[in-house]
Amino acid sequence: MKIPRRDKLKIYGDLLSVLNDESKNERIVLTRVQVRINAPFDRLKKYITDLSDLGLIEDETSLKLTDKGRQFLREYEMILDFMNRMGLAYR
Amino acid sequence: MSQYVEFRIAYEVTSAILCFILAWFMAKPYRLTREIRYLGLPLAFSFLSVSYFFSAVIYAQLSFLPNNILWFQLIARTFAFLFLAMTYHFSKKSSKTSQILLNVTFSLIIVAIIASVAAIIFTPQFDFESYLSTSGYVRIFIVVCLTYITIHVLRSHIEKPQPNTLLIPLGYILLAISQYSLIIWAVDLSMFAWWGALVLRWGGLAIFLFVAYVSFYKSRKKG
Repeated sequence: MKIPRRDKLKIYGDLLSVLNDESKNERIVLTRVQVRINAPFDRLKKYITDLSDLGLIEDETSLKLTDKGRQFLREYEMILDFMNRMGLAYR
Repeated sequence: MSQYVEFRIAYEVTSAILCFILAWFMAKPYRLTREIRYLGLPLAFSFLSVSYFFSAVIYAQLSFLPNNILWFQLIARTFAFLFLAMTYHFSKKSSKTSQILLNVTFSLIIVAIIASVAAIIFTPQFDFESYLSTSGYVRIFIVVCLTYITIHVLRSHIEKPQPNTLLIPLGYILLAISQYSLIIWAVDLSMFAWWGALVLRWGGLAIFLFVAYVSFYKSRKKG
């Protein structure tokens, strides 16, 4: 089966979701994030820099979500859930 | 004004308000993704809202309104369901070719809307007989669109069976039966079919509203 390409929004959404999930652990291990997000390490580092520039995570070392990041993730998950219920796919 | 007319005006206005609220919810996926393929949803419910509003105005029999307002509500309703079918058709297609095809389809629909509205404005006389036959064809077209959408959403549900994805196919099925009931009513003037159609339309819209409420408000409360 052909896996559709993810766009930036989907990647950022997925990454924020994984970071939020991983932040429940003692520390966030980047390789585990990489496996869960299914992206090459260099590109993952770039995405993290982007998220930090957008103010969605605190900084590139702690990787904790900011209030803005948490709010974005909440909205993102709600809309994805709505689209899923509506029978609409978002790659 | 008879009691029935008063009821119908209230019914159509309520339907228009429900669709307007739904259009606001349906705009959320587009506002997040900015993808044109999700623009069909808010447009569809906005057009439906306009169509029901026109119906209310027609029932009110306001003397200053032109006769061709009947046609405007028909156009709004037809394109509403066309937008819905377009959205579902392209929702799973993200290739470049599909994107081009979507843009072409979307442009063609816009041109068709403008052409239809222009035809109604610049063609002064449309007789009631031709309106009745056209509305019959429109209902058949709507049933076809809704059947296509129902199959699409049911297929999505079967691919990933979750209890929360079962309500929307039910909503579309109710809307399809409502339109089918109107076809039955046009053929044999069955009052059961007529009232059934009205009840089912509200049932379908109520399901959509419930799904939107659960997605955006109940989950927020939980979070």
